[in-house]
Amino acid sequence: MTDSPYILQAKNLTKIYGENVIFKDISLDVKKGETIVIIGPSGTGKSTLLRCLNLLTPVNSGQIFLEGEEITAHGVDHDQVRQKIGMVFQNFLLFNHLTALGNVMIGLTKVKKMPTEKAKQKALHELERVGLADRAHHYPAQLSGGQQQRVAIARALAMDPLVMLFDEPTSALDPELIGEVLGVMEQLAHEHMTMLVVTHEMGFAREVADRIIFMEKGRIVEQGSPEELFEHPQHARTREFLGKISELYGKKEKK
Amino acid sequence: MKKITWLISLIVLVSLLLTACGGGAQSHLEKIKQAGVIKVGTSADYPPFEYVDENGNKAGFDIELMEEIAKRMGVKVEWVDMPFDSLIAGVQEGKIDCSISAFNYTEERDKVVDFSEAYYTAEDAFLVAETFTGSITKPEDVAQYKVGVQSGTTQDDWLTNVLQIPEQNLSRYDRADQAALDLKSGRIDVMMADAIPAKALAQKIGGLKIVYTGVLSSGPMNIVLPDGDTELAQAINDILKQLQQEGFIDQLAQKYFTE
Amino acid sequence: MINQFFAYILQGTSVTVAVTLVALPLGLILGLLFALIYNYGGFWVSRFAAVYSLVMRGVPPIALLFILYFLLSGQMVNLSPFWAGSISLGIISSAYQMEILRGALQAVGEGQMIAARAIGMTRLQAIRYIIIPQAIRLAIPPWSNEASIVLKDSSLVYAIGVPEILRRAQQLSATTQQPFLAFGAAALIYFVLVFLVNRGLDLLAEKTKLPASMA
Ligand SMILES: Nc1ncnc2c1ncn2[C@@H]1O[C@H](COP(=O)(O)OP(=O)(O)OP(=O)(O)O)[C@@H](O)[C@H]1O
Ligand SMILES: [Mg+2]
Repeated sequence: MTDSPYILQAKNLTKIYGENVIFKDISLDVKKGETIVIIGPSGTGKSTLLRCLNLLTPVNSGQIFLEGEEITAHGVDHDQVRQKIGMVFQNFLLFNHLTALGNVMIGLTKVKKMPTEKAKQKALHELERVGLADRAHHYPAQLSGGQQQRVAIARALAMDPLVMLFDEPTSALDPELIGEVLGVMEQLAHEHMTMLVVTHEMGFAREVADRIIFMEKGRIVEQGSPEELFEHPQHARTREFLGKISELYGKKEKK
Repeated sequence: MKKITWLISLIVLVSLLLTACGGGAQSHLEKIKQAGVIKVGTSADYPPFEYVDENGNKAGFDIELMEEIAKRMGVKVEWVDMPFDSLIAGVQEGKIDCSISAFNYTEERDKVVDFSEAYYTAEDAFLVAETFTGSITKPEDVAQYKVGVQSGTTQDDWLTNVLQIPEQNLSRYDRADQAALDLKSGRIDVMMADAIPAKALAQKIGGLKIVYTGVLSSGPMNIVLPDGDTELAQAINDILKQLQQEGFIDQLAQKYFTE
Repeated sequence: MINQFFAYILQGTSVTVAVTLVALPLGLILGLLFALIYNYGGFWVSRFAAVYSLVMRGVPPIALLFILYFLLSGQMVNLSPFWAGSISLGIISSAYQMEILRGALQAVGEGQMIAARAIGMTRLQAIRYIIIPQAIRLAIPPWSNEASIVLKDSSLVYAIGVPEILRRAQQLSATTQQPFLAFGAAALIYFVLVFLVNRGLDLLAEKTKLPASMA
């Protein structure tokens, strides 16, 4: 079990909110170092899937494995699991009362119980990784959206996660700020961070993704390499969606 | 229902045990004597019975009387100042050992606490000029005359609220001697005051006489004691009797009610 | 004479301040506890907190004071008038402080909790390190108001024999027949105390204030 080739595996996940079946029997295998981009229309359950994967929301049935260990099993410490799965949100969700440095440090000092000085060094290093070492002492309100999102990425990276989940990390940003965030993510991909990215940025998907998953109405319709999906989509729905999305987001793609 | 009965009996039992442990066989009086201190409640905002003098010390008729009673019991007084309305509850719940605060006996109060013998009965007097030609044989008669009184006193209250004397017939004075002077000069016909100071005033100023004395505006005053505490009541009553016989209480009355 | 007069009333200040210093923090601890279980507790405990708040805000402080001092104290524990008074006021205040903090906790927003959980914090850690520090900042202005109320309500302890400012003023008013002077002095002292408390909390709010959003 432990020497599974997959770092993250989902088997037959089903999520139901009341009467609403958000998704049913979704399975997913993520290899170490892989960058997967998930695309699909709004309300399809992409965000819900990510939240299920790091146990922020419980699934109704199915199993999730992290490094071969089942994290949906009884008695698993969810908080411990979440330390190993980083998450970046559409609306950043930085801790408003902490500086950029404080935001990155707090997980280290309070969750990992790292000594302050060591945590500070590590946090500064992570901020450097996202190009914000000079903004360490700024509060979220003093940072631009792009900068806030990069701090949020640094905050997640500081926990040394096995996998990073991104939920539309650039959709709340002004067009001119999108590039800096995508740049950081691209660099992470080059460093072989395992990433699951929900995004409408087709340029990013095309250039950075190892695999693209097209989801619709709670199902995975089609998946494959960017080339397969963009050049030879198998399903009519995929073609239709890609057509719409390039119309909508076409301008931004030029970066 | 059963459960509740059970619970209540448990609580009663526990509190009985606690009281028993704390109390031992000692009576209230013995405990006071052993402690050497009696906690006495008073509402020190009622001069001249109990008040705070300009140095912040408690003073007044009741205060001095109680200090003397305690002295004869061989204990010291620890004064607990409370608003008047809290005093009965304080005695009832044992927060204070007794209370002296110009209390009058009432039946409702007697249901929850006990009273000592009266230690002082505030008698009222009607004072007129020696030249007065009218007739006052009963208290209601004063209503037809021009009456003077010290404002804010029990007499003021009685004239205003019980006798309901017309406002234009009632003159209120800051001090009793002002009223007495106006009485002599004929500006008012009758003056109502505490009997003891009234007598003293009549002597001092001259040309005045008392035509009526009686208990009108306030009744006898008693010390408030815990319900059923006959031992403490006995001790205090005995001392009160001595003090009465020795003339101590009259002297105190002279001191506090004459000016 | 006036000097002594004022000094006598002023001596009550220590009682007022001491009662406030017990009641306010007690109310804060209880209030925070109840606000937390209201916001984050299960169905029944949060119901319980709501009922607690409703009852305690409905009870006149003087009634609780009498119950605690005359009825309960002496049965189980022996509370001095000072402690009975301070605790009653603290309990009543806790209901109001609970409402203040409950609102502040809610105003911090769901997202902060989610983000905290996402980096592996437990619920308690998230509440302690992320939610409360932000909620407290939001709560300072309304809390300052509550502090003034407790300061003034502390005069209630006179009802069970603790001579604080107001009681002393009453006494001197009776002795000197100068209510205006006596109560004027008391009012002045209260004014100074309330002013100091509010100023102090304003400074605290200023000090802990987060920088405003970029233009
Ligand atoms: N907490 C919740 N309770 C009930 N329904 C929910 C909840 N969260 C999400 N949903 C529903 O689940 C469905 C999928 O939502 P989700 O946010 O996962 O979609 P999405 O693919 O991320 O869409 P978008 O592109 O708009 O972000 C939606 O219909 C949404 O209304
Ligand atoms: Mg979404």
